[in-house]
Amino acid sequence: MSEEMKKKRPAPDPNSAKFKLGAIAAKAYADAQEAKDRGEMVGWCSSNFPVEIPETLGLAVCYPENQAAGIAARGGGARLCEVSEADGYSNDICAYARISLAYAKIKDAPEQNMPQPDFLLCCNNICNCMIKWYENLSKELHIPMIMIDIPFNPDYEVSEDEVTYIREQFWDAIHQLEEITGKKWSEEKYKEVMEYSGRTSRAWLAATACARYEPSPFNGFDLLNHMAVMVTARGKKEAAEAMELLLKEYEENHVQGTSTFRAEEKYRIMFEGIACWPWLRATSTGLKSRGINMVTTIYADAFGFIYKDFDDMCRAYAKVPNAINLELARDKRVKLCKDNHVEGLLVHTNRSCKLWSGFMYEMSRQIGEACHIPVASFDGDQADPRNFSGAQYDTRVQGLTEIMESNKEARA
Amino acid sequence: MRNVKEIMEQLASIAAHPEEQKSAYLAAGRKVVLTAPVYTPEELIHSFGMVPMGVWGADLELKESKRYFPAFICSVMQSILELGMKGAYEGASAILIPSLCDSLKVLGENWKYGVPSIPFIPMTYPQNRKPVYGKAFTKKGYLRVIAELEKIAGEPFDDKKLAESIEVYNAHNACMREVAKELGCHPEITAKERSAVFKSAWFMRKEEHTKLVEELLEALKEQKKEGEKLPIVITGVLADSPSLLEIIEKNGLMIAADDVAAESRQYRTDAVKDENALDSLAQKFCAMDNCSVLYDPDKKRIPMIVDMAKECGAKGVLVVLTKFCDPEEFDYPLLKRACEEAGLFSILVEVDRQMENYEQAGTMIETFREMLSETK
Repeated sequence: MSEEMKKKRPAPDPNSAKFKLGAIAAKAYADAQEAKDRGEMVGWCSSNFPVEIPETLGLAVCYPENQAAGIAARGGGARLCEVSEADGYSNDICAYARISLAYAKIKDAPEQNMPQPDFLLCCNNICNCMIKWYENLSKELHIPMIMIDIPFNPDYEVSEDEVTYIREQFWDAIHQLEEITGKKWSEEKYKEVMEYSGRTSRAWLAATACARYEPSPFNGFDLLNHMAVMVTARGKKEAAEAMELLLKEYEENHVQGTSTFRAEEKYRIMFEGIACWPWLRATSTGLKSRGINMVTTIYADAFGFIYKDFDDMCRAYAKVPNAINLELARDKRVKLCKDNHVEGLLVHTNRSCKLWSGFMYEMSRQIGEACHIPVASFDGDQADPRNFSGAQYDTRVQGLTEIMESNKEARA
Repeated sequence: MRNVKEIMEQLASIAAHPEEQKSAYLAAGRKVVLTAPVYTPEELIHSFGMVPMGVWGADLELKESKRYFPAFICSVMQSILELGMKGAYEGASAILIPSLCDSLKVLGENWKYGVPSIPFIPMTYPQNRKPVYGKAFTKKGYLRVIAELEKIAGEPFDDKKLAESIEVYNAHNACMREVAKELGCHPEITAKERSAVFKSAWFMRKEEHTKLVEELLEALKEQKKEGEKLPIVITGVLADSPSLLEIIEKNGLMIAADDVAAESRQYRTDAVKDENALDSLAQKFCAMDNCSVLYDPDKKRIPMIVDMAKECGAKGVLVVLTKFCDPEEFDYPLLKRACEEAGLFSILVEVDRQMENYEQAGTMIETFREMLSETK
C-alpha cells in the first residue's frame, strides 16, 4: 500500500467494535507477557482447545496458530518456515507448525512476539498434525504437554461414548493443570466463563447472520479478523460486550444501508478454508475489485459455542469444523449458503491443511449441487507465501465471476 | 522339506498377487474385509471366520482418485482409493479404516462416495490410550466395528472365538519377530525376499502365514549364512518398492532390523489376558507405542530406533519417507539428530507410489553405503 493511501485511511474509532475487538486480541499477547514477567507460568494453546479450562483456572495462554497467522500476514512466514526446514522439517508440513517450531527455537519474530511457554495445551479436534507439532515442542522445550484427544467423528451425531471419553479427559487436564500451576478450579468461575462464552457466541452468530441482508452490512473478511477473539477470548466479559457491539453496528449498517464492504456488492460468495494470510490483500482485492463480497465462511457457524452444561460443552468441542464427517460439514455449509443467499463458492485448497482440503473436492461438489451455485478453487497456503500463485487466483476468481454473472442474467 | 528359495518364491508370489489370494478366499466361501493402515482390530474380523486383507495401495499412476484428493495427500491413501475406484477390491464385504492420521480420516470420507460398492467401517481409536478411559473408548470403538461385522457375517459376535483368534495373532506376532531377527543374520537373503515375507502377511489368514514362516525359519536355520553386507536399520511407513529394494541390494546393504509400519511395527505388541477377549484386544492397542501415529510426548520411538541399530550392529539408519506423510515427517528432524548424537549415519530417501525415477535415491544410498564402509 502506498504512503498516500495510508494517509487517507481514517483513524479508527476507539468506540467501534472493530477497534475493541482488535484491542482484545492484542491485549491477549500483552497480558501473557505481563504474566510471564510477574513470574507466572504461561501456556501455549491450540486454537480449539477448550478455552474454558485455562480461563476458569486463570491461566495466561498464547495461541501459536494465531501468532503464526500474524507473522505470515506481516511477511515473516517464509523466513520462519525456512528455519524449520533447515532443521529437517519437510516443507510439506503445515506452515503454522513450521513457523511455531522455528519461533520456539529462535525465540524472536518482530512481526509478532509472545512469551515462551511453561506448558502446552493441545487439542486435536482440528487435526492430528497438531499432536505431532506439540509433541515436538514439548520435547524440544522440555515442558509438559496436556493433550485432549477429540477424535474425528465419522458419524453425524456425537455419541455418548465420545462425550464420556472427552469429559474424562477434560477433568484429567484440569487436574494436571492444577498440579502444574498451583491454580484451582472453581465451579463459580466456570459458570461465569460459560455465561460470557454463551453471550459472546450468541452475539457472534447473530452478527454473522446479518449476512442474510442484501447487501450484506459487512465485508466477510472482517470475520477472519474477529474470529481471533472468538477463539481466544470467548469467555471474557469484554469479548461478550465487543461482540454485542459488533452485532449492533451490523444491524445499524443494514438500517442505514451502509456496509464495511466498501464497494458495490454485485455478487455474494462463501469462502472455504483458512485465509491465505500472506496474500490477504491480494485475495481480498481480487474479490472486491469485481464487486464480490465474501459474505460467509464456516467460521460463522464454527465458533458459536452455545452449551448448557459441562457435557454439552464436551459435545460442542467435538463439533468443530475439522472434527466432523463430510455430511455434517456439508449440511452446515449448505445452510450458510442458503441463509445468506450465496451465489458462488470459492475454495482455498490449502497445502498446509490435509484434513480441511482432503475431502473438499467431493464436499464442494455436493454443496454446489445442493445450492445450485458454481464452485471454483485455488491453490494456496495459510502461512507459506511460496504456495500461492496470484495469476491462478485471478483466473479462477474471474471464471467464478463469469458463471455468477451468467446465472444472474439467466435469472433476470 | 522345502528349501529357503522355494518358500521365498511362494511368499513372493503371494505378495505380488493379492488379487489371486482374494479370489481364492472368496471362491472358498470366505468373506474378505479390507483393512487400511496403520492398525486395525484384525482379530475381530478373524473371529467371524472372515479374512482381513491389508490395503496399503500400490505403485500405479493416479487418475480417478484425483477427483477426490488434492495432490498433497500421501500416495498410500491416493492409491488405495484409486484401486478401489478401479474395481481392484471388488468382492470385499467392507473396508475398515482407522482415523489415526489426518489423511486416513479423509480417505474414509472420500471412500463413501468414490467406492460406494464396498461399505466403509470407521474405527475411531483414542490417542489418550494409556488412562482407563482410553481403554474404555477403544472397547466402544470395537463394539461399533463388531456391530458392522455382525451384519456382514450374519452371525453374532462370540468372545470365545475372539480368544482363539487372539491366540492365532499372538502366535503370528511371535513368529514374525523371530523371522525378522533371523533374516537380519542372513546376508544371502535379498531385500526383496525379506520384503515379501512381511508383505505376504497382509494377504493371508494369519494361521496360514505362520505355517509358511515357521517353515521358512526351519529352512533358514539349515541354510549357510553367506556373503558380506553392511547391516542397516530401515524406518518408514512402507519400504516395498521393488526399485528401492534393488538399490539396497545393489549397494550391499542388509536390513538387520526395521521400524517400518507395514512390517515389524505390526508385530511388537501382543494381546495379554484380561477380563475377556474383547478387553484383551482393547488393552493391546492401549499398550502399543513407538509409532508416529500414536501420541507420545516423550518421543520414545526415536531412542528406540537408535537402540535397535546398536543392538543389531547397524551403523546407519535408512529413513524411507513416504512423501506427504506428516506424522513421519515430524519425527524425522528428531531422529536425524539422535542418530548424529549416537554416532550413527542416517539418510533420508523420499518416496511415493508414483515414483518412476529412482536415480536420486540411488545416488543417496550409494553415498550412504560409502559412509558406512568407511567406518567398518
